[in-house]
Amino acid sequence: MPNIRVTAFRWVPPPFQGQVRDLAVRWALEEAGVPYEMKLLAPEDQDTPEYRAWHPFGKVPAYEEDGFQLFESGAIVLHIAEGKSAEGTALLPADRAARARVVAWVIAALNSVDPDIIALGDIDHFAADEAWGKQRRPALAGMVQTRLNAVAAHLAGRDYLVDQFSAADIMMITILRALRHTTLVSDIPDLRSYRDRCEARPAFQRALAAQLDTFARHAPAAKS
Amino acid sequence: MSNIRITAFKWVPPFAQGLVRDLRVRWALEEAGLPYTENLLGPGEQNSAAHRAVQPFGQVPVYEEDGLTLFESGSILIHIGEKSEVLLPRDAAKRARAFTWMFAALNSVEPHVQNLTTIDLFFPNEEWAKLRRPAAEKMALGRLNAIAASLEARDYLEGEFTAGDLLMISVLRNLRHTTLVKDIPVLAAYQARGEARPAFARALAAQLAHFERNQPIAA
Repeated sequence: MPNIRVTAFRWVPPPFQGQVRDLAVRWALEEAGVPYEMKLLAPEDQDTPEYRAWHPFGKVPAYEEDGFQLFESGAIVLHIAEGKSAEGTALLPADRAARARVVAWVIAALNSVDPDIIALGDIDHFAADEAWGKQRRPALAGMVQTRLNAVAAHLAGRDYLVDQFSAADIMMITILRALRHTTLVSDIPDLRSYRDRCEARPAFQRALAAQLDTFARHAPAAKS
Repeated sequence: MSNIRITAFKWVPPFAQGLVRDLRVRWALEEAGLPYTENLLGPGEQNSAAHRAVQPFGQVPVYEEDGLTLFESGSILIHIGEKSEVLLPRDAAKRARAFTWMFAALNSVEPHVQNLTTIDLFFPNEEWAKLRRPAAEKMALGRLNAIAASLEARDYLEGEFTAGDLLMISVLRNLRHTTLVKDIPVLAAYQARGEARPAFARALAAQLAHFERNQPIAA
């Protein structure tokens, strides 16, 4: 069994709890039944030369397995899905064509759906009261909605993005979680039921509970 | 030899020429030495039901190979990489490192680059864009500096060229209307090194040839 270490933040403010990107990696590891350790970072750890050598952007998650290091949640999830431990979990199907479709949806989540969601989150969390944020938001929300509708259209009549539950669903669902402060997902019935179906998985519940538990244990003392 | 066909646009406006994402796939196919044919979409065809059935977002490229149909340039690169060690090393750890840089290009660098190009190319005169631009540029620059630091004295991100460099350099190309890359010598040299590869030159020429040939008649 490999020795796996994953980095995460010790604490983040409530709007980001339950959606920091180590969630996707924890979820994949839980689905694969692979044990792992967490290495928790304080804010001052992100920019040290040691951490930047591991993760060039100083973000989480970073991943270590028997001496080799990775970063980027998408790359880590695919690596876990390809691993021996994940055999039989169908995170990545054995059939060549189905496998390629799973990779396509992993990338679609990260490169066609996520960028607009990131931009919307930037406004809602950091620039909601700024003039540019107010002017830009309607068109951007429309773009997010267009992408969500395309995903929903693909899901019509399907339980998961590709046949069975796979790494593609882990990526898509964790990315959609960044819209929890809006009704954009819940307003689309096919997408809402897809989300609920995936989030009901025991492996997801364990991953989420583990992330939230860390934040609860490291909550800053309330200011008087 | 398998039959590979890629879908691209017949024509795009000059600001997008040399940047459309089928270039990434053409480049990968040229690196792998795999011949391909093309399916060119004319105006309106990208939203047809037939195209949406193979590309859910109505974009390009689409990749077809003996009954297998793929979308998303990044995933097509992984698929082509399975056939060519020039793009993806066989060693599991090295391959995972190449994946890491592919995803870094697509999910940690490109979203910030896209924020900036959206402002500059589509909304340069909007008030929100003017207010937003300085912070958007700073974010993009932060990522560029991190990439430059990762390169150190290496020619490519992992020493040898991989699909990670192919994607990173393709993303950097989207900033050609700015001096952001040029202002960081390590990064400018890295981009030039990638673009000097014969496979890139062939891919670019192939994309541009269609745009030249299918230019709309001036009104």
